[in-house]
Amino acid sequence: MTSKPLGVFKDSAALSLGVELELQLVSKRDFDLTRGATDLLGSLEYDERFGEIKLEITESMIEISTLARSTVDGIAADLVGLRDTLRQHCERNNIGVSGGGTHPFHHWPERRICPGDRFNELYQRYGYLAKQFTVFGQHIHVGCTSADDAIWLTQALGVYVPAFIALSASSPFVDGVDSFYQSARLNAVSAFPLSGQCPPLGSWQEFTEHFAFLQACGIAQGIKDLYWDVRPKPEFGTVEIRVCDTPLSIEQATSLAALAQSLARWLLRNRPPLHTAKQAHVARYNKFQACRYGLEAMISDPVDFGQIPLRQTLTDLLEAVSEDALALDCAHWLSPLKQLVAENTGDAAWLRAKEKQHGNLNDVVREASDRLLGKSNHSQGKTT
Amino acid sequence: MPLRALWESLLERLFFLPPFPESIDSLALFSLLLVVGLLIGEWLHAHARWPKVIGYVLAGILFGPSLLGWISIEALAQARPIADAALGLLMMEVGRRLDLNWLRSNPELLRSTFADITLSFVLIFVFALGLVGLTPAWAAATAAVTMASAPAVVLLTIEESRAQGLVTERIILHTAISSAASFVAFALVLGIVHAEQSEDWLNAVMHPLWVVVGALLVGGIGTWLALRIAKTLPKGSLAQVFVLIACALLAVGIARMLAVPVFLSLFLMGVLLASRDRQQTLRYTELPEGHWLLAIVLFVIVGASLPWQEFTWLAGLQALGLLLVRAAAKAGAMAWSGGSLPLPKRLLVGMGIQPLSATAVFMAYEIASLYPEVGRSALTLPLFAAAMMELVGPALCRLALHRSGECESGDRSRGGIA
Repeated sequence: MTSKPLGVFKDSAALSLGVELELQLVSKRDFDLTRGATDLLGSLEYDERFGEIKLEITESMIEISTLARSTVDGIAADLVGLRDTLRQHCERNNIGVSGGGTHPFHHWPERRICPGDRFNELYQRYGYLAKQFTVFGQHIHVGCTSADDAIWLTQALGVYVPAFIALSASSPFVDGVDSFYQSARLNAVSAFPLSGQCPPLGSWQEFTEHFAFLQACGIAQGIKDLYWDVRPKPEFGTVEIRVCDTPLSIEQATSLAALAQSLARWLLRNRPPLHTAKQAHVARYNKFQACRYGLEAMISDPVDFGQIPLRQTLTDLLEAVSEDALALDCAHWLSPLKQLVAENTGDAAWLRAKEKQHGNLNDVVREASDRLLGKSNHSQGKTT
Repeated sequence: MPLRALWESLLERLFFLPPFPESIDSLALFSLLLVVGLLIGEWLHAHARWPKVIGYVLAGILFGPSLLGWISIEALAQARPIADAALGLLMMEVGRRLDLNWLRSNPELLRSTFADITLSFVLIFVFALGLVGLTPAWAAATAAVTMASAPAVVLLTIEESRAQGLVTERIILHTAISSAASFVAFALVLGIVHAEQSEDWLNAVMHPLWVVVGALLVGGIGTWLALRIAKTLPKGSLAQVFVLIACALLAVGIARMLAVPVFLSLFLMGVLLASRDRQQTLRYTELPEGHWLLAIVLFVIVGASLPWQEFTWLAGLQALGLLLVRAAAKAGAMAWSGGSLPLPKRLLVGMGIQPLSATAVFMAYEIASLYPEVGRSALTLPLFAAAMMELVGPALCRLALHRSGECESGDRSRGGIA
């Protein structure tokens, strides 16, 4: 294995956006995960007008990633275009596509690593964890005009990791059972040695020194080895939020991108004090709370001390960024999030309601697939 | 025989003893077929990596009337209900996998399945008529019997390889569609054979109708009952599995009573189950691993039923010719039909649908039994073709799955499934 240099931070347009969604490939017979990503992509004729459709680590996953866009509406159009391209191609090959952070009942030993040196290297390094990594997340890129801004934003967004987890949580079922978590997906990510929070670094200079240290110790070869919750992405000139489950609908994924853009603007505009060293002590606990309880989580405050209900924090946050959302012309995408927080109609609750309705998880995935592909009439977050 | 003499001498003194058993008990026969097939299948699989199905068929050939004769003609007749049950369950599974929605959403599949059906039937018919010299009716019967892929072999090979992917799905679809087409051709051929052999127009018209309507009725009753009862039970429960199997076996029984082909009735039951189950009552209910148990016996019986004792070099060459024509038809259909799947992968689908087996043998015997004096010799060609393909087909199917990279990888370090 050879170390890859970090490279220079490529400045990008301020607050530009990009979204990646990892999606589930399911059998239309029983809605279990199926294999076939490599052949599916091999036979796809598509001119990349909405972004890319790519392989992920196992044959049961596929990733769509939008082009860099300045507006949330642009992201929404790309996601719909990518979703429809994938849907048409999958229909021709009798494969279903679904959102959700975990597949509710797949059997991980049946997963197959995609061909390719990088995937094989990951399998050799992490063994069975690589197959268990068949979990599905949404990554949101926010463009930064300078490397120092990117590091500052990485730290600042770290405080809001529980908010993104709770709003996107869509992985309550694992191995066919209710995990009690709202987002069980992140437990699969936590097993990797370089997962977690970005250390309290204050500038691009400190970040490059830290990365050089990791390389010198033989811990990381490239930036892709860092599975941090929020990390800078020098080659794109962005900060990447990586904690979201893939939502059950394209609309919800777009709303999360709108929140990321509005929040980043609000943070960069107000530059609140960060208390990164103190936050580092409570970050893991707060993340667990959000994964386990979702909107009911109690978030520890290491500055003013005590615990605050996440629902309260989220209500205040969505109010606080409203002005920025208006300025960015994406306020209409935040309304569904406000409704979700007020009515507790997140994706995890929807999945549980469906399981209760059908009494089995096959039908849950069937309905989830219809929902992602826009075949059902579910309005945002409705459970019936 | 000293054992018989001893038994009969004891019978005079021990009044509770039954008369000396003249034939083997059905259950004992079942277990013997099972163990013998299992041992040979497992041995070949472990030592030569051959598909297990080949081992089961070899066991049947070895112990059947053609070679050692341990499985007699009478024993074969006695074991027929078990073979019918096994074939019925497998045919129902294939029917359940016939996804008509997929065909509707993908014109390239319509093209390739239509090309496969048409080319296979026409080329085999022309070969049998022109080169072998059969009459049009028997040439049509030969084409009807051999045009389709073998659903049971394909399904078991895919299960054994734990294959999954685009090539695998297409192999299943092609097998199901070509089976359906061959059943239609089979029904028509029944009428043609009647017309040619006896000029009995009533039977020529009524027999195909009886077969098709009867099978549809039997399949329909099985489906209706299965869905009706299963609806009252928890989804995916073991009770639902039992209901599905019980209804399938009931359909097998009724089909046997009405002299309607079991394979057709159960195939239609599978198709109806898949298309009529709007509330997904039985959609996710799978047959338990135990159906392998019946499949082993099925293939041992099929192996024993093959008429190797009538083998001649000429018949062998003709059968080989038929298989080559059939292979060319299937490969040609896949190459011609185009589509998004690359050509090498489409040719692998063509290779995967080569098997020819139990359904062909049963169909051939069904037609031959109509006019035994001519039928048996007229259908030597498809029977030998099936006999040869019994041994090669599973290997070809497995090779296609393996080459497509969709089955279990032997090398665990490369990330295949364990």
